[in-house]
Amino acid sequence: MLSKPICTLIIAEVYTMSEDLLSKLDPMISMERTIQAELLLLLGQKPSHGYELIQRLNDSDFKSGEADTATVYRNLRRMDKDGLIQSHWEIGEAGPGRRLYELTPLGKQSLDLWSQFLTLQKTKLQKFLQAYKQYEDSLAKGENEVNKS
Amino acid sequence: MNTSSNALRLIHAGALQRVMETCLDLYTRMNPNLKSELKGVGSREGAKRLLSGEHYDVIALADQALFAELLVPDLVENYFIFAADQIVIGYTGFSKGSNEITPDNWIDMLLQSQVRFSHSNHHLDPCGYRALMVWQLAEKFYQRPDLSTEMEAACFPYETYPKSLNLASDLLKGKVDYAFLYSSQAKQLELPYITLPSKINLSNPAYANYYDQAAVSVESKIPGKNIIIHGKPIEFAIGKSRNSHLSEHAQSFIDLLTGPEGDSILEEYGLIPC
Repeated sequence: MLSKPICTLIIAEVYTMSEDLLSKLDPMISMERTIQAELLLLLGQKPSHGYELIQRLNDSDFKSGEADTATVYRNLRRMDKDGLIQSHWEIGEAGPGRRLYELTPLGKQSLDLWSQFLTLQKTKLQKFLQAYKQYEDSLAKGENEVNKS
Repeated sequence: MNTSSNALRLIHAGALQRVMETCLDLYTRMNPNLKSELKGVGSREGAKRLLSGEHYDVIALADQALFAELLVPDLVENYFIFAADQIVIGYTGFSKGSNEITPDNWIDMLLQSQVRFSHSNHHLDPCGYRALMVWQLAEKFYQRPDLSTEMEAACFPYETYPKSLNLASDLLKGKVDYAFLYSSQAKQLELPYITLPSKINLSNPAYANYYDQAAVSVESKIPGKNIIIHGKPIEFAIGKSRNSHLSEHAQSFIDLLTGPEGDSILEEYGLIPC
């Protein structure tokens, strides 16, 4: 999601979040990194191991694209290291042991931050589409006036 | 390596050779008085060696399903999935058509009469049956009826490759032009390789149901009888033998491989720690 220093800064200020602060993050967050938000949400819903997370992510309505195995595990390791999630080995009763991931309180704060960031993005996109519609309407109006003359 | 009976004995998939060597080197540096012995084999062969009474303390296999099929619960109590990978087509700069092959034309390139390609022995090595599964899935994915049969007919004899590492060795010697290998092997050997679509390369759990359509017949643990195994996402697993003479060392080695240091080593050798 964010590089650690920025993440730490933001988490520290999460309760006094301002639009200005979120706007500073904007260029730093690529769509590739939104996979971390998606994984945080899935882990907030329930702890899972990587295999299951990949399946749940691909079944979700909010995936950014096909989640490949390497990308998911790489992001899980990064978030584990950053303290957004934690993991331990879970021994299956009949099946194999797998590393189980779960959301930490810091991860929950990060997820909240993502939600606020995406809300701002949504508003921005809506404004863009509104402006685009006005532009399209003005073009159509211009054509009509040319036709009349 | 020392072969005395009080040595920690580890048997592993050939594809894990460098990972196991590096982990064991690290582990023996922390335990300088420990004697150890590593044996690399095709994973099916490895599991069968345990079944036939050979003694090993740690078993690391390229297909986690082998533990359930052959080893649990009699020989191994628990096993842990620690890495994932995918099947690719490795080649060298000397392979015929190496300047022309792409992810879009690999089938036609491999089926040219002068081109030699192969897979490892599927009765002994998961990489071998996974290659056959890739061909079956490619038949559906590219809508090329009979592709799998065509590939099997054109394949360079696989019987001489008990594990994918032997096949990779022949690829480097120029005996074959193309080899169906794990991505991690191609990376370790610095080979160029063709990446296949995730719907056929057995990498992605999201396609587990799709992979399940592929099925290959392999020799079972009962001599003379075969069983059918189905396609699954590629996962490597490790377990401790119930009969380990050095149970604490065996567990500590597994803890190392499945811990942060192991993750770094796996990544270094092109596997995906999971």
